[in-house]
Amino acid sequence: MPRSAELRWIRADLRARRGQAGLTVLAVAGIVTALIVAATLLEGGTNPWRGLFERGHGAHIWIHSKDVPDVSALRGLPGVTDVAGPYRSAPATLATGGRRVPITLRETPAAFTSVARPLPREGRWLDPRAPDGVVVERSFARALGLRPGSPFTVTGLNGATHRLTVAGLAESGDQGFYPEWTPGLAWTLGQTLDVVEPAPGRTEAVTGLRLADPADTDLVVQRAVFTLRNQVQRVTTWREVRASMELDDRLLGLLLALFGVAGLVAAALALANAAGGRVLTQLRDIATLKSLGFTRGQVVRMLLAEHGTLGLLGIALGVLAARLVTAYAMGETVAVPLSAGPLAAIVAGTALAVLVAVLVPAWRGGRVPPLPAAPAAPPRGRLSRLARVALLVRLPPALVLGARDAFTRRTPAALTACGVALPMMLITIGLGCWATLDDFGRHPESVGQAAALSIRPGDMTAEEARQRVMADPDVVAAYPGAELDALVPWQTRTVRTRALGLSSDPYPFPVVEGRMFADRGEAVAGQGLLDLLGVRVGDRVRMTIGGTPLIVRIVGRVIEPEQDGEVLSFGLDSLAAKDALPPGFYALVLRPGADAAQVRARLQEQGLEVTRAVNPAERLAVVRVIIVALVVVLALIGLANLLTASALGLRDHVLDLAVLKAMGLTPRQVTATLVTAAGLPAAVGVVAGAAAGAFWSRALIDLEGRGSGVGAGIGRAPTPGMLAAALLIAIGAASLVALIPARRAARARVPVTAR
Amino acid sequence: MSDTPVVRVVNLVKIYQTGGLPVPAVRGVDLTVEAGEFVAITGPSGSGKSTLVHMIGGLDTRSSGEIWLEGRRADTLSESGWAVLRREQIGFVFQFFNLVGNMTVADNVELPALLGGASPRHARERREYLLGELGLADRADAAPAQLSGGEQQRVALARALANQPRLLLADEPTGNLDSRNTRDVLRLLGRVHRQGQTIVLVTHDARVASMADRVVSLLDGQIVDDGAIPRVRRRPAGGAGDVVELRS
Repeated sequence: MPRSAELRWIRADLRARRGQAGLTVLAVAGIVTALIVAATLLEGGTNPWRGLFERGHGAHIWIHSKDVPDVSALRGLPGVTDVAGPYRSAPATLATGGRRVPITLRETPAAFTSVARPLPREGRWLDPRAPDGVVVERSFARALGLRPGSPFTVTGLNGATHRLTVAGLAESGDQGFYPEWTPGLAWTLGQTLDVVEPAPGRTEAVTGLRLADPADTDLVVQRAVFTLRNQVQRVTTWREVRASMELDDRLLGLLLALFGVAGLVAAALALANAAGGRVLTQLRDIATLKSLGFTRGQVVRMLLAEHGTLGLLGIALGVLAARLVTAYAMGETVAVPLSAGPLAAIVAGTALAVLVAVLVPAWRGGRVPPLPAAPAAPPRGRLSRLARVALLVRLPPALVLGARDAFTRRTPAALTACGVALPMMLITIGLGCWATLDDFGRHPESVGQAAALSIRPGDMTAEEARQRVMADPDVVAAYPGAELDALVPWQTRTVRTRALGLSSDPYPFPVVEGRMFADRGEAVAGQGLLDLLGVRVGDRVRMTIGGTPLIVRIVGRVIEPEQDGEVLSFGLDSLAAKDALPPGFYALVLRPGADAAQVRARLQEQGLEVTRAVNPAERLAVVRVIIVALVVVLALIGLANLLTASALGLRDHVLDLAVLKAMGLTPRQVTATLVTAAGLPAAVGVVAGAAAGAFWSRALIDLEGRGSGVGAGIGRAPTPGMLAAALLIAIGAASLVALIPARRAARARVPVTAR
Repeated sequence: MSDTPVVRVVNLVKIYQTGGLPVPAVRGVDLTVEAGEFVAITGPSGSGKSTLVHMIGGLDTRSSGEIWLEGRRADTLSESGWAVLRREQIGFVFQFFNLVGNMTVADNVELPALLGGASPRHARERREYLLGELGLADRADAAPAQLSGGEQQRVALARALANQPRLLLADEPTGNLDSRNTRDVLRLLGRVHRQGQTIVLVTHDARVASMADRVVSLLDGQIVDDGAIPRVRRRPAGGAGDVVELRS
């Protein structure tokens, strides 16, 4: 029954501070929303398969068979919910810009099907009135430089050539990305397919099975193969498609985890500040409650329930808001909501942070003695020597009094400074991440991307390709290269080796430890490879490349953004001639300031297959959104902390105010004193937080880099300009925040009676 | 009613530690308050009278000595033990009213009853009765800050009486009131006392103390005088209010 007394008090307290309670809920909700949206974007970015598959209602299994299979038998298999097709499909060769690439043409009805529906992205869908128009899979079209409207020719198996046009581009969760998934795919109408491949014996039937439970895939495949006896030529499953799309980006994940932790700290701070400030202003009421017979446990329980409920409400609201944001505001980019695991982690993490943050003020509230009129100890302290000197040199008295005040009440001043320093530190670390990303973009050579483009000779000879490339005015150097997989003893999988440049003329790898390779048999490696093999710079590594044993000495560590850093790089001359010649590709270093897209277009016109290097900063672009969101939330939290601190300071100052006024200080001077008293610790906090952040950000990002395999050496501190701007804005905002209550207090009539 | 005293303290001592120096506030007080008594504790500032009452109510801990309430040893109780005892047996009235600022008058008065385990309906009835008795029925939904000092103290009195406590402790209840409100509050105290309420009242005002049956004078933490006031003096025709009226 005494519960009803607690509930009554909680209700009254919440009603009395609706606005503040609402802000708390909103702050926590904002942080949770930001975290969930960021995680959703990350998941969609690194694993686009899930979204594509869900949207297109994809098929889990694709069966390629010689003849049209028994669809009703397939549909009757246990676990199969729907069947796509069977569609006819024929191999052909696509020729565009002097290149010949294998392509699969697949028949598709002009009307969208319910299962395994391609998702049109650009241009039009198939139209029976324009049978030459085909829809090309987007990643394939991009690699070939095809756009809606581009003409191209295909050659069927009988050698006949047909002109077709790209009607549109589409994506699908049933077809992996090119070039990881070959051959590329084009969806055509049945009549178009008949024209390109008139012989029925040369087409195959493709049938998609959608399953109730993806875990049953292997079982259903076995049953389907058994049902169709000898007709099945091959089977692909959703796992292979997903593997071809997945971007295993550990750096992004780690950065996001860092910000996730920062977000949780921010949530905890927001709540601790709100709850702590509230409890501090309520000490008298709590004492009264205890004098009425509330026990310590009851008080703790009451405070926990009140503030914890606000936090949990915020989490619930945040989850809801994130759902709405991802479903409506970002419906274009986000296909499917966050999967259960990360969502549960975010919710549980925030809930834990909320409870911990609330526990401390609640416990403190419980320890309040039941004597309501507990006299506040008068502030001790006298004018320090410094203050006396300051007065002697005629510094404004308001400043001296404020400064004295800030340093005689040490505990509140320290709390204020910490409450500001922690968000400021996190903000500075965020700015450091921003500077690091900027540096990636501005100096791609420092992350191993000195070459903005790379070309594959295609069907011309390597020397011919090199000559064409070097003829371009913007190309400064073309390094011959080959990428091969190597078998390393004791490893169950292969590692990527990259032969690029010659030992005498090495590619400008960003070496951060040791030195560049300068001789045959020397190599440099990324952190991921060193970790994987358990070796250090200076060690020898033995491996087998294409059957040929190769022993190299690792002489340096490079920043390696690809393959999670598990790449070994050396000169092309270290390879056996059969692997090295002709080079598989050329890495092109462009003239500074050259537009890579223009050069790429020019080279593509010359019939070269050109790939543009993807800068890690582009893949990490989502982090920038998170940085901005977090900086805003953290700034608000810092200001809220300061507001609470200055309100509490004022409460303790009511008596001093009367004294100051009695001494003859004008309201303006009183205001200045109060602003100095609150602003000085805040400024100290801002400077300390920024210093700590600048000091830590580099180390922290390097730690992330090391953990992700890219390697330490990528971290940058925020630029001095950025840091100075952040400092000025923070101190200015802090002074403004301190000014509002100070002005009000200085103008108010101050009772000289006891509180 | 049994003849067990409501309060019995034996050799009660309170020593504050201020900056490492022991400062005795109460030095060996023996006091017994019988049921239905109205005791005023007076003395100059710093004589330890408030400390004594706070210790009797368990708001402050004793340094040594014994406290017996209703024949039960209370000084050995834990903080929660004291809290439960307070909510059932003791009502407090403070100098600065100490109403819970964010609750309405009605909530403030109902809170102790709810805390004592009464049903919300019973608590409401009791509150309506008390506020009606104290002439505050129409202020039930007001916030404490909207009330005058006298009204706030009457609400505090209603709250203290909500659980029909065996003992009412009042610490300078008129210390923050003007003479008119002082008179009202004293009249109310007199009335509840006549209904059998045991009251221990702390005041530094001798004229307020003269309301009581018995006045205990403290000086430097020790009882220097303890005597009953002859009833003749206390009962002029108009009651306590007139005593105050005379001096204003």
